[in-house]
Amino acid sequence: MQALSPFKLLSRFGAAFMEVALDVGGMAVLLYKVIRCFFPPKLDGMETWRNLYKVGVKSAPIVVVTALLTGAIMVIQSGALVAQFDAFGLLGWGAGFATLREVGPIMIGLMFSGRVGANNTAELGTMKVTDQIDALRALAIDPITYLLVPRFIAIVLMMFLLTIVGDLTALVGGAYTGQVLLGVSPSLFASSVIEYIKLEDLFNGLFKAFTFGVAIAVVSSHYGMTTSGGAVGVGRSVNNSVVASAVLIFVLDYFITSILH
Amino acid sequence: MIRISEVYKYRGHECVINGVNLVIPQGTQVGLIGPGGAGKSLLMKICAGLVRPDSGSVLIDGTEVVGIGDVEMTSVRSKIGMLFQNYALFDFMTVEENIGFPLRQLGGRTEEEIRDEVNRLLLAVDLPNTQKLFPNELSGGMKKRVTFARAVIANPPILFYDDPTAGLDPVTSGKIFALLEERRERGGTTSIVVSHDILGMRDICDSFVLMDHGRIVFSGTREEIEASTRPFVGQFWRGEADD
Repeated sequence: MQALSPFKLLSRFGAAFMEVALDVGGMAVLLYKVIRCFFPPKLDGMETWRNLYKVGVKSAPIVVVTALLTGAIMVIQSGALVAQFDAFGLLGWGAGFATLREVGPIMIGLMFSGRVGANNTAELGTMKVTDQIDALRALAIDPITYLLVPRFIAIVLMMFLLTIVGDLTALVGGAYTGQVLLGVSPSLFASSVIEYIKLEDLFNGLFKAFTFGVAIAVVSSHYGMTTSGGAVGVGRSVNNSVVASAVLIFVLDYFITSILH
Repeated sequence: MIRISEVYKYRGHECVINGVNLVIPQGTQVGLIGPGGAGKSLLMKICAGLVRPDSGSVLIDGTEVVGIGDVEMTSVRSKIGMLFQNYALFDFMTVEENIGFPLRQLGGRTEEEIRDEVNRLLLAVDLPNTQKLFPNELSGGMKKRVTFARAVIANPPILFYDDPTAGLDPVTSGKIFALLEERRERGGTTSIVVSHDILGMRDICDSFVLMDHGRIVFSGTREEIEASTRPFVGQFWRGEADD
């Protein structure tokens, strides 16, 4: 294989940088346009309900299953240490602290980006390449107000609410696993949670869930609305959306954890 | 009236709309014809404000649409109906919801009034009992007729038809052209029809505009285009192959 000349290397680096800059700029503009629609509030009620149902109700079963297993895994991981130091009274704190602050929002965020974000990009991307977005504009309907604002509300709100559901379910899963594997009674597990876990830990995780929701909504909508090139383009957009959402979730998590620690 | 003046559009370094000037008087139906890639659909999208030209002016009923804000553009678009080449039906809506959508968005009508209007149009386009079907359950010809019904339901004074018969069999194409002719005969609508189907367009347009490589190469009535001595014009009109 022939080595690239420094000029070509620089040119490729520049092109890649420009691509990222265009995407980041596009997402910032999109977020601004969506926020602008809230002052005064402009949105389609029917479309909002449809999206709340699709994003929230249909995601609930998978969130519950993921969260139950997450709680169980946290107990299995900490179980050996708890048994070694005979610290059964700290099992609820150990599992709950990590779940509420970190693992819960991250797991649900990644699951949301894969399920809801990818679906959002595919839907908007297909609408874009089949002229449905242009058809809306031709009918004097703003696609931001009609399509994006309801999706934004549904993703952010449901990410937040399902994280609460997921946190509670994870604690139930942890308590059950603690009883089955370590013989820790649910009441001891619960008292450990209540005694050691602060509301601040819960709010920390919920703040992360909110920001992850905003990130997933903006990233998936941006890639959907900038899709071109038919079915291949839709596939490429979905791929970019899932990867970018996942990376952004970890980047945001790093900064929020650093600031709120 | 639609007035297009010195419109240019570039795609990369290539000039895809090259200094187009065109006036479409109120109440006339103009056939926009030309070979594939001539810029017909793009010019139509520029007229509808869906694509912004790099320079030039487009006046729709006296309002400049190039460079205006979203609010002003929304007011201009409320006068426009558009039939898209690849249907552009909303695939999450039924036929009934698709056709009634412009009226619902305009407001001021009850659900019953909208349903009556949708049913009347479905009968007019020969698609009874399809209200509850989704676009993926329709054939190409049926989708085109639904798209037509959606474009005209709000009675817009300006209509753009982008290749209304593309990919359709001759019988269905004939039905679509009959709908366009019926619409023209009612009067008062200014419209542009983009099509490759010269035979079908001959009797339904008041005048024709022939485009090639982003330029208008001929503009005139059917009689004028038939009398033209320019080889390209005659060859395209008669559908003759190169020697």
